[in-house]
Amino acid sequence: MIAENTQTQMRKGILEYCILSIISRGEIYASDIIAELKKAQLLVVEGTLYPLLTRLKNNGLLSYTWKESTSGPPRKYYEITAEGKAVLSRLDVTWKELVFAVEISLEGRND
Amino acid sequence: MNKTIIININSIVFHIEEDAYDTLRSYMIDIKKHFGNTAESKEILEDIENRIAEMFNEHIQTGRKEVINLDDVQRVIGQMGHVRDFEESADSVGGQHYEQEARVGPSPQVDYMSKKLMRDPDDKIIGGVCSGLGHYFGIDAVWLRVILVVFCLVGGSGVLIYIVLWLVMPMAETRADKMAMRGEEPNLQNFKKSFDEETRSFSETFSSTGEHIGRGVRSAGNLLSGCLGLIGKMIAWIMLVSAGLTLLGLFIFYIFNVMNIFGLENPMFFPPLRGLATQEAFIAVTFGFLAISIPFFALFFWLIRILFSVEKLNNYMMLTMFAVWIVSIVGIIYYCIAVSQDFREKSTVNVQKSLQPQEVYYFTEKDIRVLDASEQNSLKSKFNIQLDGQDLRNYLHRDINIYFESIDSLSQPYIQYSYSAKGKTYQLASERARNIVYEAIQEQKTILFPSHFLLTKNTLERDQQVTVTVYLPQGANVVLQKEIEHKIRDISYWECRENYPNDQQKYTEWTMSDAGLRCAQPTQSEEEEVKSEKKALLDGVEIKKDSVIHIDGSNVTIEVKDNSLKINTKKEKS
Repeated sequence: MIAENTQTQMRKGILEYCILSIISRGEIYASDIIAELKKAQLLVVEGTLYPLLTRLKNNGLLSYTWKESTSGPPRKYYEITAEGKAVLSRLDVTWKELVFAVEISLEGRND
Repeated sequence: MNKTIIININSIVFHIEEDAYDTLRSYMIDIKKHFGNTAESKEILEDIENRIAEMFNEHIQTGRKEVINLDDVQRVIGQMGHVRDFEESADSVGGQHYEQEARVGPSPQVDYMSKKLMRDPDDKIIGGVCSGLGHYFGIDAVWLRVILVVFCLVGGSGVLIYIVLWLVMPMAETRADKMAMRGEEPNLQNFKKSFDEETRSFSETFSSTGEHIGRGVRSAGNLLSGCLGLIGKMIAWIMLVSAGLTLLGLFIFYIFNVMNIFGLENPMFFPPLRGLATQEAFIAVTFGFLAISIPFFALFFWLIRILFSVEKLNNYMMLTMFAVWIVSIVGIIYYCIAVSQDFREKSTVNVQKSLQPQEVYYFTEKDIRVLDASEQNSLKSKFNIQLDGQDLRNYLHRDINIYFESIDSLSQPYIQYSYSAKGKTYQLASERARNIVYEAIQEQKTILFPSHFLLTKNTLERDQQVTVTVYLPQGANVVLQKEIEHKIRDISYWECRENYPNDQQKYTEWTMSDAGLRCAQPTQSEEEEVKSEKKALLDGVEIKKDSVIHIDGSNVTIEVKDNSLKINTKKEKS
């Protein structure tokens, strides 16, 4: 149970960081984000993404624009905001610290 | 072959097979319940629907088909993820710095722990108020019903309580409402179990022609509640009929009273209205009618609404009725105060009229309602002249008191009339008192007192009284006829009449003493006393038959029996 919990915590902790990173590359559609995340094996189902995107948007880290689609209804294209960029750079620092911390922690281990 | 349903997701029309529709529907309900009811969740749902629509569109285009089937739906759901997957993710997202987390997280039941006060449509007799209260307080509805019935019987207050609660408590229509009502956690298992009972929550987004499933469930439910409601309906019918009859009765009473006020005589009249002038009486009776009938009308209409499911009255109508009712109540209070103010001051007008001295005065009453044709031109008919006869009843009043007082034996006898009336001011009261017409008529030995006094000039009834005091010289003999008996105060006519041996005695004889009238007829025991007294006077001491002398003062009893004499000085009873 604890192991599972830790796993999901770790995954979720970096999920939003990853989403922000993906979006920071440029305007992107939700299903493309999912495709990227699936490739990275971070996310399994699409449904989980929408609450996250909405929350990030409501916290002012993201914004979106409606764009006509060739097939089907208009799509929401997400974009990172200035605030989002600031948060992302802070997260970058944190991530590097974490990586450092983990590497230090793992150094003495022999497997 | 499969039946298809047309659905509309985000303004795009899809043909979907029935089983696929059911699955999708249950899935969407699950999702909706999962995300709750925040503004944020609406957006999330829109995104998800949008995405589903897009995926369906892709399936149609790539698969070159027109209908969405179960496979497509399951694939979409697989891609989108089940609610339990969301829960998992939400669980792990929980604990972050987003404040909305609590809503989606694993502890949404905190928000739903408090029960909602709603009417239960599944367990109802009339409106489901009692069962709703029962859910809320965790009591069996039966006990609340018993209490309600008791309140209905005690002054009918239960009816009012029930109506108010009915209006205040909303009906638990949706599954979510019912769960909130019972205080259940609206978790997904509960919803999954009974998703097809849900009739409303998604009709906004998924307008479809396949509503018949829900409808079937609903009609079965209606049948059940219909059986339960049969008793309630009977009660409602009885109440409806009685409310209707009350309204009709009130209306008839009102019409007849108005007719009375405007001069069409009829026996149905509310006596206090006589204290008001025509115009005022009309307004007052109208206010009274409205004040009583509006609540009955409201009850009546409300029952009709229940029994025949008629649309409820529009708000303007209801507000108007309520305003009219308030005005009526205020109006009634105003008239009550105004009328009682008119009784504040009392004024008395005294008039003295001399009597011709006679040896014997015969006092009797003249019923002025009886016309004597032969007396057309006599003094007695003067009342008949003053009345126009038509509404005699309104002018006649009986509040007449007659007293007898003694004066010096040589003085001229006279009668003093005290006319009194009440009014808002002293002037008004004395004016009213002056409008009283009452006077006795002397015909030699006979003095006639009219049975009623009259009020002239349309004077309002304001506690008018006539007090007549007859001053007679001491020693005057008076004969009081039986008819006048009920007007005479102070002296006991009845006791005097007892003294006469004849039960049907038509008159009593009195003598004026210095302390007022004395009954001239001695009592029967007095008569005997007088006789024995006479014997004692004539023959010294003579004792006959019962040979006992009893002297009270010193308790001495002398008894003569069988030639023996007994003298007892102790106290004895006989």
